[in-house]
Amino acid sequence: MAGPLEQFMIKPIIPLPEIAGLDISFTNSSLWMGIAVIASYSLVMVGTRHAALVPGRLQSVVEIAYEFVADMVRDNAGKEGMKYFPIIFTLFMFILFGNMLGMFPFGFTFTSHIIVTFTMAICVFVGVTVIGFMKHGVGYLGLFAPPGAPKAILPVLVPIEILSYCVRPISLSVRLFCNMVAGHTMLKVFAGFAVALGALGIAPLAIAVAITGLEFVIAFLQAYIFTVLTCIYLHDALHMH
Amino acid sequence: MRRTTALASASVLLADVTLAATGGGESVGEEVGVEPQASVGMPQLDPTHFPSQIFWLIVSFAVMYWLFARFGVPRVADILETRQDRIAADLDRAATFRREAEAAMAEHERLVAEAQAKARAHLDAALERVKAEAARQEADLERSLQRQISDADARIAQARDEALRALEDVAVDVSRAAVDRLIGVEVATDEAAAAVANARREAA
Repeated sequence: MAGPLEQFMIKPIIPLPEIAGLDISFTNSSLWMGIAVIASYSLVMVGTRHAALVPGRLQSVVEIAYEFVADMVRDNAGKEGMKYFPIIFTLFMFILFGNMLGMFPFGFTFTSHIIVTFTMAICVFVGVTVIGFMKHGVGYLGLFAPPGAPKAILPVLVPIEILSYCVRPISLSVRLFCNMVAGHTMLKVFAGFAVALGALGIAPLAIAVAITGLEFVIAFLQAYIFTVLTCIYLHDALHMH
Repeated sequence: MRRTTALASASVLLADVTLAATGGGESVGEEVGVEPQASVGMPQLDPTHFPSQIFWLIVSFAVMYWLFARFGVPRVADILETRQDRIAADLDRAATFRREAEAAMAEHERLVAEAQAKARAHLDAALERVKAEAARQEADLERSLQRQISDADARIAQARDEALRALEDVAVDVSRAAVDRLIGVEVATDEAAAAVANARREAA
Protein backbone atom coordinates (compact mmCIF):
# COMPACT_ATOMS: atom_id res chain seq x y z
CA MET A 1 0.00 0.00 0.00
CA ALA A 2 1.14 3.49 -0.85
CA GLY A 3 2.51 5.57 2.00
CA PRO A 4 0.67 8.65 3.22
CA LEU A 5 3.12 10.92 1.45
CA GLU A 6 2.92 9.27 -1.93
CA GLN A 7 -0.05 11.47 -2.85
CA PHE A 8 2.35 14.39 -2.96
CA MET A 9 4.63 12.77 -5.55
CA ILE A 10 5.26 14.78 -8.68
CA LYS A 11 4.87 12.62 -11.77
CA PRO A 12 5.90 13.99 -15.15
CA ILE A 13 3.19 13.54 -17.76
CA ILE A 14 4.74 15.19 -20.81
CA PRO A 15 8.52 15.46 -20.62
CA LEU A 16 9.68 18.71 -22.16
CA PRO A 17 13.21 19.59 -23.23
CA GLU A 18 15.21 21.44 -20.62
CA ILE A 19 15.41 25.20 -20.93
CA ALA A 20 18.62 26.76 -19.64
CA GLY A 21 19.33 23.57 -17.75
CA LEU A 22 15.94 23.60 -16.01
CA ASP A 23 13.43 20.79 -16.33
CA ILE A 24 10.01 22.23 -17.03
CA SER A 25 8.19 18.99 -17.83
CA PHE A 26 4.41 19.03 -17.70
CA THR A 27 3.60 17.11 -14.50
CA ASN A 28 0.51 16.11 -12.55
CA SER A 29 1.00 19.34 -10.59
CA SER A 30 0.92 21.36 -13.83
CA LEU A 31 -2.14 19.40 -14.95
CA TRP A 32 -4.09 20.29 -11.80
CA MET A 33 -3.00 23.90 -12.01
CA GLY A 34 -4.43 23.92 -15.51
CA ILE A 35 -7.60 22.24 -14.27
CA ALA A 36 -7.90 24.87 -11.52
CA VAL A 37 -7.59 27.64 -14.10
CA ILE A 38 -10.12 26.08 -16.46
CA ALA A 39 -12.54 25.11 -13.67
CA SER A 40 -12.53 28.50 -11.95
CA TYR A 41 -12.74 30.41 -15.22
CA SER A 42 -15.53 28.13 -16.46
CA LEU A 43 -17.45 28.61 -13.23
CA VAL A 44 -17.30 32.38 -13.63
CA MET A 45 -18.13 32.41 -17.33
CA VAL A 46 -20.81 29.69 -17.25
CA GLY A 47 -22.32 31.16 -14.10
CA THR A 48 -22.68 34.59 -15.68
CA ARG A 49 -23.62 33.47 -19.22
CA HIS A 50 -27.20 34.72 -18.88
CA ALA A 51 -26.17 37.87 -16.99
CA ALA A 52 -29.54 37.60 -15.31
CA LEU A 53 -30.88 40.52 -13.33
CA VAL A 54 -32.15 38.04 -10.75
CA PRO A 55 -29.26 35.57 -10.43
CA GLY A 56 -29.75 31.83 -10.66
CA ARG A 57 -27.92 29.37 -8.44
CA LEU A 58 -24.63 29.27 -10.33
CA GLN A 59 -24.61 33.01 -10.94
CA SER A 60 -25.20 33.55 -7.23
CA VAL A 61 -22.12 31.46 -6.46
CA VAL A 62 -20.03 33.61 -8.79
CA GLU A 63 -21.48 36.84 -7.44
CA ILE A 64 -21.00 35.78 -3.83
CA ALA A 65 -17.37 34.86 -4.55
CA TYR A 66 -16.87 38.22 -6.26
CA GLU A 67 -18.55 40.21 -3.50
CA PHE A 68 -16.69 38.21 -0.87
CA VAL A 69 -13.31 39.11 -2.32
CA ALA A 70 -14.40 42.67 -3.13
CA ASP A 71 -15.50 43.21 0.48
CA MET A 72 -12.27 41.65 1.69
CA VAL A 73 -10.17 44.03 -0.42
CA ARG A 74 -12.28 47.06 0.52
CA ASP A 75 -12.27 46.26 4.24
CA ASN A 76 -8.59 45.36 4.51
CA ALA A 77 -6.83 47.38 1.82
CA GLY A 78 -9.23 50.30 1.48
CA LYS A 79 -10.77 51.84 -1.62
CA GLU A 80 -7.38 52.29 -3.32
CA GLY A 81 -6.86 48.55 -2.99
CA MET A 82 -9.71 47.93 -5.44
CA LYS A 83 -7.24 48.75 -8.22
CA TYR A 84 -5.61 45.41 -7.45
CA PHE A 85 -8.91 43.55 -7.19
CA PRO A 86 -8.44 41.40 -10.34
CA ILE A 87 -5.12 39.96 -9.17
CA ILE A 88 -6.40 39.34 -5.65
CA PHE A 89 -9.56 37.72 -6.99
CA THR A 90 -7.40 35.53 -9.23
CA LEU A 91 -5.17 34.65 -6.28
CA PHE A 92 -8.16 33.69 -4.13
CA MET A 93 -9.80 31.58 -6.83
CA PHE A 94 -6.52 29.91 -7.77
CA ILE A 95 -5.72 28.88 -4.20
CA LEU A 96 -9.34 27.97 -3.43
CA PHE A 97 -9.58 25.74 -6.49
CA GLY A 98 -6.13 24.29 -5.81
CA ASN A 99 -7.22 23.35 -2.30
CA MET A 100 -10.67 22.13 -3.28
CA LEU A 101 -9.54 20.08 -6.28
CA GLY A 102 -7.20 18.30 -3.89
CA MET A 103 -10.27 16.96 -2.08
CA PHE A 104 -11.32 14.97 -5.13
CA PRO A 105 -10.21 11.33 -5.21
CA PHE A 106 -7.16 10.95 -7.48
CA GLY A 107 -6.82 14.71 -7.42
CA PHE A 108 -3.54 16.44 -6.76
CA THR A 109 -3.18 19.37 -4.37
CA PHE A 110 -0.62 21.68 -5.91
CA THR A 111 -0.92 23.99 -2.89
CA SER A 112 0.56 21.20 -0.76
CA HIS A 113 3.95 21.95 -2.28
CA ILE A 114 6.05 24.51 -0.48
CA ILE A 115 7.67 25.66 -3.68
CA VAL A 116 4.28 26.60 -5.12
CA THR A 117 3.03 28.41 -2.02
CA PHE A 118 6.41 30.04 -1.53
CA THR A 119 6.53 31.29 -5.11
CA MET A 120 3.08 32.81 -4.68
CA ALA A 121 4.02 34.32 -1.30
CA ILE A 122 7.29 35.77 -2.62
CA CYS A 123 5.44 37.28 -5.57
CA VAL A 124 2.95 38.87 -3.17
CA PHE A 125 5.81 40.07 -0.97
CA VAL A 126 7.85 41.54 -3.83
CA GLY A 127 4.77 43.01 -5.49
CA VAL A 128 3.53 44.66 -2.30
CA THR A 129 7.00 46.00 -1.50
CA VAL A 130 7.34 47.44 -5.02
CA ILE A 131 3.90 49.08 -4.68
CA GLY A 132 4.94 50.48 -1.31
CA PHE A 133 8.12 52.05 -2.66
CA MET A 134 6.38 53.32 -5.78
CA LYS A 135 3.73 55.00 -3.69
CA HIS A 136 5.83 56.37 -0.83
CA GLY A 137 9.37 56.33 -2.22
CA VAL A 138 12.04 56.06 0.45
CA GLY A 139 9.38 57.08 2.96
CA TYR A 140 8.09 53.50 2.80
CA LEU A 141 11.01 52.60 5.06
CA GLY A 142 9.09 54.54 7.75
CA LEU A 143 6.94 51.42 8.00
CA PHE A 144 9.70 49.95 10.15
CA ALA A 145 9.48 52.80 12.68
CA PRO A 146 5.89 52.85 13.93
CA PRO A 147 4.70 56.38 14.75
CA GLY A 148 4.37 57.12 18.45
CA ALA A 149 7.07 54.67 19.44
CA PRO A 150 9.59 56.21 21.88
CA LYS A 151 12.92 57.03 20.24
CA ALA A 152 14.79 55.04 22.86
CA ILE A 153 13.37 51.69 21.79
CA LEU A 154 13.76 52.32 18.07
CA PRO A 155 17.12 50.50 17.85
CA VAL A 156 15.35 47.40 19.12
CA LEU A 157 12.04 47.96 17.39
CA VAL A 158 13.31 48.61 13.87
CA PRO A 159 15.22 45.32 13.49
CA ILE A 160 12.18 43.45 14.84
CA GLU A 161 9.92 45.24 12.39
CA ILE A 162 12.27 44.52 9.50
CA LEU A 163 12.51 40.87 10.51
CA SER A 164 8.75 40.51 10.85
CA TYR A 165 8.33 42.16 7.46
CA CYS A 166 10.82 39.87 5.77
CA VAL A 167 9.37 36.78 7.42
CA ARG A 168 5.99 37.47 5.82
CA PRO A 169 6.52 35.36 2.67
CA ILE A 170 7.72 32.46 4.77
CA SER A 171 4.83 32.52 7.23
CA LEU A 172 2.37 33.09 4.39
CA SER A 173 3.62 30.14 2.35
CA VAL A 174 4.37 27.73 5.20
CA ARG A 175 0.89 28.24 6.69
CA LEU A 176 -0.87 27.19 3.50
CA PHE A 177 1.59 24.43 2.72
CA CYS A 178 1.46 22.89 6.21
CA ASN A 179 -2.29 22.99 6.41
CA MET A 180 -2.66 21.24 3.09
CA VAL A 181 0.01 18.63 3.81
CA ALA A 182 -1.12 17.91 7.36
CA GLY A 183 -4.78 17.47 6.43
CA HIS A 184 -4.11 15.27 3.44
CA THR A 185 -1.53 13.17 5.24
CA MET A 186 -3.84 12.66 8.19
CA LEU A 187 -6.66 11.62 5.86
CA LYS A 188 -4.38 9.11 4.19
CA VAL A 189 -3.12 7.76 7.53
CA PHE A 190 -6.63 7.22 8.88
CA ALA A 191 -7.72 5.71 5.58
CA GLY A 192 -4.75 3.34 5.88
CA PHE A 193 -5.84 2.35 9.39
CA ALA A 194 -9.36 1.73 8.14
CA VAL A 195 -8.03 -0.75 5.60
CA ALA A 196 -5.54 -2.38 7.97
CA LEU A 197 -7.97 -2.86 10.87
CA GLY A 198 -10.56 -4.70 8.81
CA ALA A 199 -13.93 -4.75 10.62
CA LEU A 200 -12.63 -2.47 13.37
CA GLY A 201 -11.68 -0.02 10.66
CA ILE A 202 -15.08 1.59 11.01
CA ALA A 203 -13.71 3.89 13.72
CA PRO A 204 -10.84 5.37 11.68
CA LEU A 205 -13.19 5.48 8.71
CA ALA A 206 -15.60 7.63 10.71
CA ILE A 207 -12.72 9.87 11.72
CA ALA A 208 -11.58 10.08 8.09
CA VAL A 209 -15.08 11.15 7.08
CA ALA A 210 -15.09 13.80 9.80
CA ILE A 211 -11.63 14.99 8.75
CA THR A 212 -12.84 15.20 5.15
CA GLY A 213 -15.50 17.69 6.27
CA LEU A 214 -12.90 19.59 8.25
CA GLU A 215 -10.57 19.59 5.25
CA PHE A 216 -13.19 21.31 3.10
CA VAL A 217 -13.43 24.04 5.73
CA ILE A 218 -9.64 24.31 5.88
CA ALA A 219 -9.38 24.37 2.08
CA PHE A 220 -11.62 27.44 2.04
CA LEU A 221 -10.19 28.98 5.18
CA GLN A 222 -6.58 28.80 4.01
CA ALA A 223 -7.46 30.37 0.67
CA TYR A 224 -9.21 33.10 2.64
CA ILE A 225 -6.29 33.60 5.03
CA PHE A 226 -3.74 33.79 2.22
CA THR A 227 -5.87 36.37 0.41
CA VAL A 228 -6.79 38.44 3.45
CA LEU A 229 -3.14 38.64 4.52
CA THR A 230 -2.26 39.76 1.00
CA CYS A 231 -4.88 42.49 1.39
CA ILE A 232 -3.44 43.53 4.75
CA TYR A 233 0.09 43.69 3.29
CA LEU A 234 -1.35 45.71 0.43
CA HIS A 235 -2.92 48.05 2.97
CA ASP A 236 0.50 48.54 4.57
CA ALA A 237 1.96 49.36 1.17
CA LEU A 238 -0.83 51.80 0.30
CA HIS A 239 -1.43 53.50 3.63
CA MET A 240 1.70 52.61 5.63
CA HIS A 241 -0.01 52.26 9.02
CA MET B 1 2.07 44.13 -17.38
CA ARG B 2 5.76 45.06 -17.14
CA ARG B 3 5.52 44.84 -13.39
CA THR B 4 4.10 41.33 -13.59
CA THR B 5 7.04 40.13 -15.66
CA ALA B 6 9.39 41.76 -13.20
CA LEU B 7 7.62 39.93 -10.39
CA ALA B 8 7.85 36.68 -12.27
CA SER B 9 11.57 36.96 -12.89
CA ALA B 10 12.11 38.00 -9.28
CA SER B 11 10.24 34.96 -8.06
CA VAL B 12 12.26 32.67 -10.34
CA LEU B 13 15.41 34.18 -8.91
CA LEU B 14 14.23 33.68 -5.35
CA ALA B 15 13.08 30.18 -6.16
CA ASP B 16 16.59 29.39 -7.39
CA VAL B 17 17.88 30.53 -4.04
CA THR B 18 15.42 28.28 -2.20
CA LEU B 19 16.25 25.50 -4.61
CA ALA B 20 19.83 25.71 -3.50
CA ALA B 21 18.80 26.09 0.14
CA THR B 22 16.46 23.12 0.19
CA GLY B 23 19.23 20.85 -1.05
CA GLY B 24 19.80 20.25 2.65
CA GLY B 25 16.07 19.90 3.26
CA GLU B 26 16.02 16.62 1.45
CA SER B 27 18.45 15.05 3.85
CA VAL B 28 16.50 16.50 6.80
CA GLY B 29 13.44 14.65 5.55
CA GLU B 30 15.41 11.42 5.41
CA GLU B 31 16.94 11.91 8.84
CA VAL B 32 13.56 12.45 10.46
CA GLY B 33 12.25 9.46 8.52
CA VAL B 34 8.92 10.99 7.64
CA GLU B 35 8.59 8.72 4.64
CA PRO B 36 10.74 5.63 4.96
CA GLN B 37 9.31 3.89 1.87
CA ALA B 38 10.17 6.69 -0.52
CA SER B 39 13.76 7.30 -1.33
CA VAL B 40 13.56 11.12 -1.20
CA GLY B 41 11.54 11.76 1.99
CA MET B 42 8.80 14.35 1.59
CA PRO B 43 8.22 14.80 -2.12
CA GLN B 44 7.74 18.51 -1.43
CA LEU B 45 11.40 18.82 -0.51
CA ASP B 46 12.69 17.17 -3.65
CA PRO B 47 14.06 20.00 -5.75
CA THR B 48 14.01 17.98 -8.98
CA HIS B 49 10.61 19.31 -9.98
CA PHE B 50 10.92 22.81 -8.52
CA PRO B 51 11.66 24.52 -11.84
CA SER B 52 8.75 22.76 -13.51
CA GLN B 53 6.35 23.67 -10.70
CA ILE B 54 7.44 27.31 -10.67
CA PHE B 55 7.29 27.50 -14.44
CA TRP B 56 3.80 26.02 -14.67
CA LEU B 57 2.60 27.98 -11.66
CA ILE B 58 3.63 31.22 -13.35
CA VAL B 59 2.18 30.15 -16.68
CA SER B 60 -1.15 29.00 -15.27
CA PHE B 61 -1.46 31.93 -12.90
CA ALA B 62 -0.60 34.40 -15.63
CA VAL B 63 -3.15 32.82 -17.97
CA MET B 64 -5.75 32.82 -15.21
CA TYR B 65 -5.00 36.44 -14.33
CA TRP B 66 -5.27 37.46 -17.97
CA LEU B 67 -8.58 35.58 -18.35
CA PHE B 68 -10.07 37.01 -15.18
CA ALA B 69 -8.78 40.55 -15.60
CA ARG B 70 -9.78 40.66 -19.26
CA PHE B 71 -13.11 38.78 -19.24
CA GLY B 72 -14.24 37.32 -15.92
CA VAL B 73 -14.04 40.23 -13.52
CA PRO B 74 -15.42 42.89 -15.90
CA ARG B 75 -18.33 40.60 -16.71
CA VAL B 76 -19.31 40.04 -13.09
CA ALA B 77 -18.68 43.72 -12.29
CA ASP B 78 -20.87 44.64 -15.24
CA ILE B 79 -23.71 42.42 -14.01
CA LEU B 80 -23.51 43.82 -10.49
CA GLU B 81 -23.31 47.38 -11.79
CA THR B 82 -26.23 46.85 -14.15
CA ARG B 83 -28.27 45.52 -11.27
CA GLN B 84 -27.25 48.42 -9.06
CA ASP B 85 -28.09 50.90 -11.82
CA ARG B 86 -31.38 49.17 -12.47
CA ILE B 87 -32.35 49.27 -8.82
CA ALA B 88 -31.31 52.91 -8.54
CA ALA B 89 -33.21 53.75 -11.71
CA ASP B 90 -36.29 51.92 -10.46
CA LEU B 91 -36.10 53.74 -7.15
CA ASP B 92 -35.69 57.03 -9.02
CA ARG B 93 -38.67 56.23 -11.18
CA ALA B 94 -40.71 55.27 -8.14
CA ALA B 95 -39.77 58.56 -6.50
CA THR B 96 -40.73 60.46 -9.67
CA PHE B 97 -44.05 58.66 -9.83
CA ARG B 98 -44.64 59.41 -6.21
CA ARG B 99 -43.88 63.08 -6.76
CA GLU B 100 -46.18 63.10 -9.77
CA ALA B 101 -48.91 61.37 -7.80
CA GLU B 102 -48.52 63.86 -5.00
CA ALA B 103 -48.65 66.75 -7.45
CA ALA B 104 -51.75 65.22 -9.06
CA MET B 105 -53.31 64.78 -5.65
CA ALA B 106 -52.57 68.40 -4.73
CA GLU B 107 -54.00 69.53 -8.08
CA HIS B 108 -57.04 67.38 -7.50
CA GLU B 109 -57.54 68.81 -4.05
CA ARG B 110 -57.11 72.31 -5.40
CA LEU B 111 -59.70 71.63 -8.12
CA VAL B 112 -62.11 70.14 -5.65
CA ALA B 113 -61.71 73.14 -3.35
CA GLU B 114 -62.14 75.47 -6.30
CA ALA B 115 -65.22 73.62 -7.48
CA GLN B 116 -66.64 73.67 -3.97
CA ALA B 117 -66.02 77.38 -3.70
CA LYS B 118 -67.61 77.94 -7.10
CA ALA B 119 -70.57 75.77 -6.20
CA ARG B 120 -70.99 77.64 -2.96
CA ALA B 121 -70.84 80.96 -4.79
CA HIS B 122 -73.38 79.71 -7.31
CA LEU B 123 -75.59 78.48 -4.53
CA ASP B 124 -75.29 81.73 -2.66
CA ALA B 125 -76.09 83.69 -5.80
CA ALA B 126 -79.05 81.46 -6.57
CA LEU B 127 -80.26 81.75 -3.00
CA GLU B 128 -79.87 85.50 -3.19
CA ARG B 129 -81.75 85.57 -6.45
CA VAL B 130 -84.52 83.40 -5.12
CA LYS B 131 -84.75 85.50 -1.99
CA ALA B 132 -84.93 88.68 -4.02
CA GLU B 133 -87.57 87.13 -6.28
CA ALA B 134 -89.53 85.96 -3.28
CA ALA B 135 -89.32 89.39 -1.70
CA ARG B 136 -90.42 91.00 -4.96
CA GLN B 137 -93.31 88.61 -5.34
CA GLU B 138 -94.24 89.17 -1.74
CA ALA B 139 -94.18 92.90 -2.28
CA ASP B 140 -96.28 92.50 -5.45
CA LEU B 141 -98.73 90.36 -3.62
CA GLU B 142 -98.79 92.78 -0.77
CA ARG B 143 -99.38 95.61 -3.16
CA SER B 144 -102.16 93.82 -5.04
CA LEU B 145 -103.75 92.75 -1.77
CA GLN B 146 -103.50 96.28 -0.49
CA ARG B 147 -105.15 97.46 -3.68
CA GLN B 148 -107.86 94.90 -3.36
CA ILE B 149 -108.37 95.88 0.26
CA SER B 150 -108.57 99.53 -0.59
CA ASP B 151 -110.90 98.75 -3.52
CA ALA B 152 -113.05 96.71 -1.22
CA ASP B 153 -113.01 99.53 1.34
CA ALA B 154 -114.04 101.95 -1.34
CA ARG B 155 -116.79 99.64 -2.46
CA ILE B 156 -117.98 99.19 1.11
CA ALA B 157 -117.95 102.94 1.67
CA GLN B 158 -119.84 103.47 -1.52
CA ALA B 159 -122.35 100.79 -0.58
CA ARG B 160 -122.81 102.33 2.81
CA ASP B 161 -123.21 105.77 1.31
CA GLU B 162 -125.73 104.41 -1.08
CA ALA B 163 -127.50 102.60 1.72
CA LEU B 164 -127.46 105.73 3.81
CA ARG B 165 -128.79 107.78 0.90
CA ALA B 166 -131.49 105.19 0.39
CA LEU B 167 -132.20 105.30 4.08
CA GLU B 168 -132.47 109.13 3.83
CA ASP B 169 -134.92 108.76 0.99
CA VAL B 170 -136.84 106.28 3.06
CA ALA B 171 -136.67 108.68 6.01
CA VAL B 172 -137.89 111.58 3.83
CA ASP B 173 -140.74 109.45 2.53
CA VAL B 174 -141.55 108.18 6.01
CA SER B 175 -141.45 111.66 7.47
CA ARG B 176 -143.67 113.06 4.64
CA ALA B 177 -146.07 110.21 5.13
CA ALA B 178 -146.03 110.67 8.88
CA VAL B 179 -146.62 114.45 8.59
CA ASP B 180 -149.39 113.85 6.08
CA ARG B 181 -151.02 111.34 8.35
CA LEU B 182 -150.55 113.23 11.56
CA ILE B 183 -151.29 116.77 10.55
CA GLY B 184 -152.53 116.36 7.00
CA VAL B 185 -149.95 118.62 5.53
CA GLU B 186 -148.37 117.65 2.34
CA VAL B 187 -144.72 118.52 2.71
CA ALA B 188 -142.59 119.00 -0.35
CA THR B 189 -139.87 116.47 -0.95
CA ASP B 190 -137.14 119.13 -0.78
CA GLU B 191 -138.36 120.45 2.53
CA ALA B 192 -138.67 117.02 4.01
CA ALA B 193 -135.18 116.15 2.84
CA ALA B 194 -133.81 119.35 4.36
CA ALA B 195 -135.55 118.61 7.61
CA VAL B 196 -134.24 115.06 7.69
CA ALA B 197 -130.76 116.29 6.99
CA ASN B 198 -131.19 118.87 9.72
CA ALA B 199 -132.36 116.25 12.15
CA ARG B 200 -129.43 114.04 11.29
CA ARG B 201 -126.99 116.85 11.82
CA GLU B 202 -128.61 117.50 15.22
CA ALA B 203 -128.36 113.78 16.08
CA ALA B 204 -124.79 113.70 15.08
